[in-house]
Parts: sequence; C-alpha cells; structure tokens
Amino acid sequence: MHLIQRMKIWKELRRLEQRAKEQPSPSTFVDLGQVYINLDLHDKAERMADDGLALFPKSIELRQLLDCARRGLRHRRAQELRAKLTRSPSPKLFRELATIYLDLGDSNALHAVCQEWSLRFPEDSGSWLMLGQARLTSFYRDLAAREGQEAVQCLERAASMNPEEAQSRRLLGEVLYRIGAVHEAQKHITALRELDPADQEIEQLLSHVATLNDGGSDLSSLFDEVEAHGSLMHPTAQAAAPANTTERSFTDVRTGLARISELSGVSKAVFIRGSKAMVKGDIKDGRDPFLRIVRVTAKAAHRFARRLDIGNAAKTVIEGDFGQICICVYGEALAAAQCQEGAQIEQVLGELQEIVAGALHGVED
Amino acid sequence: MSKIQDAVAELRHAPGVKGAAVVTDDGLVAASSVATGLDPDVISGLSSYLMMTTNRSLTEGNYGGCSKLLLNATHGKAVFVQLEDSYLVVLFDQFAEIDQADREVDDAVARIRRASRLA
Repeated sequence: MHLIQRMKIWKELRRLEQRAKEQPSPSTFVDLGQVYINLDLHDKAERMADDGLALFPKSIELRQLLDCARRGLRHRRAQELRAKLTRSPSPKLFRELATIYLDLGDSNALHAVCQEWSLRFPEDSGSWLMLGQARLTSFYRDLAAREGQEAVQCLERAASMNPEEAQSRRLLGEVLYRIGAVHEAQKHITALRELDPADQEIEQLLSHVATLNDGGSDLSSLFDEVEAHGSLMHPTAQAAAPANTTERSFTDVRTGLARISELSGVSKAVFIRGSKAMVKGDIKDGRDPFLRIVRVTAKAAHRFARRLDIGNAAKTVIEGDFGQICICVYGEALAAAQCQEGAQIEQVLGELQEIVAGALHGVED
Repeated sequence: MSKIQDAVAELRHAPGVKGAAVVTDDGLVAASSVATGLDPDVISGLSSYLMMTTNRSLTEGNYGGCSKLLLNATHGKAVFVQLEDSYLVVLFDQFAEIDQADREVDDAVARIRRASRLA
C-alpha cells in the first residue's frame, strides 16, 4: 500500500470516527469497525463494537462486528502461537492453540494441532480431550452418529490416560445419558463425584440421571437411533427442571405472538421450543402443515449455514404464491409467521426476534 | 451458457457479494463465480439440500413451490431464486444489505431466464 492510499484510508477513518462520535448509531459504529477490520486492526474493531453495544445492546450488526473482530484476534493469536510452537513446543501452547481453533470452529486445523500434540507429548491426555470436545460439539450440532462415537472414543482415551481429570468424565457422562446410555453415564458421574465429593452440581446431575430410563449400553445403536430420530433421548438437567422463569418467558411469548398475529397481513404465528409449540392465528391443530414447514426449513437452513461455515441461520424468509413465511431462530427457540400481501416483513422479523430473544433470556436466567 | 456465466460473473461484482452460482435442481453447477476459499460444488450440494427440503415440505403442505428464499446467518447471508429447473444462489458477506443488491439480483435473474429460453 503506497503513501497516498494510506493517507486516503486514514482520512476516511478520521471522518468515520468523527461521524461515530457525532451521530452514534449501529451503522456508524459498524462502518468504522469494518474499516478497522479491513486494516487488520481487529483490537480497535473489538473496542468499537464494545462501545457500540454499550449504547445499542440489542444491535445484531454490532454483535456480528464484535464476533468478526474477535475471530480476527484469535487468528492473529493462532499465528503467534504457531511461531512459538516451532521454536519451543509445550503442552500449554498446544492447548491454547487447540482452544483457539475449537472456538473458531476450524476442525481441520484443530485435528492437525492435536495430532502434532499427541505425537510430541504422547503422555499428555489434553489432545484427546480437545479432540473429544470438538467431535462432541459437532455431534450436538448435527446429531451425526459417527461424530458421537468418535467423541466418546477420544474422551474415554483421555479419561483412561488421566483418571484425575474431571472434564473428560463430565462430558462423557453428559453425552452418554443424553443418548440413553444411562447406566454407563452413571459410572462416569460417580467417578466424577469421587474426584470432588463437595460438588453440589454433580449431586444434582446424579439425581437427575437416576430418574431417566436406560436405553442399554450398545452405544453404536443408541447413536444411530439419535441420528435417525434427529433428537437426543433425554434432556439436560437444566432443561428438565421446571422453572418460574420458563413460565414467565412463555407468558411473554404468548403476548408477543398475539401482537404479531394482529399485525396487518399476518395470518399465522408460532413459537416452538423443543417439543412445545404455541400458536396464534389460523392454525387448527398440531398437524397444520405450517408447523412442519417452519421446523423443516429452519433445520435445513441451520445445517446449510453451519456446513458453509457462516454461523447460525438466525432469520429465514421463504417467498412463494402463498405469500411469505418468516422464521427467526435463536438456539433451540424458533418463532415464525406466515404473511400475505401488505405485511411489513421487517417489522414481523423484528417482532419474531424479540420473542426468541426473550425466550432465550428466560432460559439463561 | 456463456451468457449465464456472464450474468453470474457480473453479479459477483455487486457490493457485498462473495459468490454466485446457478445450480440445477439436482445439485449440479451450471455456472459459478465465487471468492477464493468457497467451493462451488460444496455450495451447490448444500443449496440443493436446502431448496429440495424446503420445496418438499411446502409441496406436501399444499403451499406450492418456493420462488425465493433469503437466509440471514451470523457470518453471512444467502439468497436463492427459483428459475426453470434450476436456481440462482447468491452469497453475501455478513455486513451486506441484501435489499441494496436486489436490483443486481433481479437483473441477473432476468438475464439468466432469457439465456435459458434462448438455449
């Protein structure tokens, strides 16, 4: 980049900085952050996104900017660690690098690092734990049987190499009871309790697991069943626990759905979380095809986005002779509406987003 | 075919567009122009899966077909427009405003439809 180009960029930067100060809005912060990112100044972009979020905490664009800036910072840190590892490899550096790749979702790089880690330090169980975590994340995302089986193999290897290490047993225990191998899971959770008898969370987990039906110990067929059904057999302890916050958030959802169904051009509105659905408008029963369409499309869009490495599919709009179907997804919560001519799609999407964000907030509380 | 390729290549230069492709209903790439790091075959396979799944669920529910699908993800956006026996896939970066590229997408769709008819 020659001098004149650099001067132009700095001049543009000063103009945007001034604009962000004088007319603070999500777009002014995002514009400035984008220039910082283009200049590889990810730390400044992160600060800009933080400042913007302090003023506009609900802005999705600013969250995306923050995410992008952090990804850039992680990439830079990964490069630094790579250079350090070439000079003086150590398990600590390998662990930090692998954690960065895990956060970035770069599974190829993670596998390469773990392979090198286990070759250089074969006694260290960390590489197997990290691989297990990556496989497990992938399994929970896609519910692919092969990923689940490999995750269990990696975690079992980590647990056998270092029986004092709690994380591998915790992850093993959770995935096993969630697919239905309750008795197998209990062995790991009991071992976990022996490592830390004072931990109340482990006690609660044990009592939750004790209430579940055992599906046997044939992990291969249990994983295949999960893949075939597209859902895990048992919920987590948090999801299973009845909570006032959940009830409160459902009241908010009901109010939100009523508000959407009253908007001009909206004929149907639905909120779905897990197996529960709440509907408003022209929906007769649970067999209404609209419910299936939004579920199937949301899942397909989610897979499309994840496989293409563009994150989570938050909003989807389907257009056709029937009008438009707007879908908004956050985590396990999904809200959707069917609109006809005259509907304000942006407004509908905004309202749907409020519903799913509110429901998610209720669960996080 | 070159006219379709030209339309796709031109669309690729619209603001925020990372890639564009014309994909047949069975997942074959008819024309593509994508940024480095994006694989047209991967895009076509995933797009085909998404469009087929969506169209099947719509048809089974007597809703008819999908003419356009917009997807807004955390790190990117995508638009799918149904053509005859194929569809146009346009991938955007996360900061792109899809509305601003509407005209370019509509132009490309019109050119591709015209070229398909002539072919």
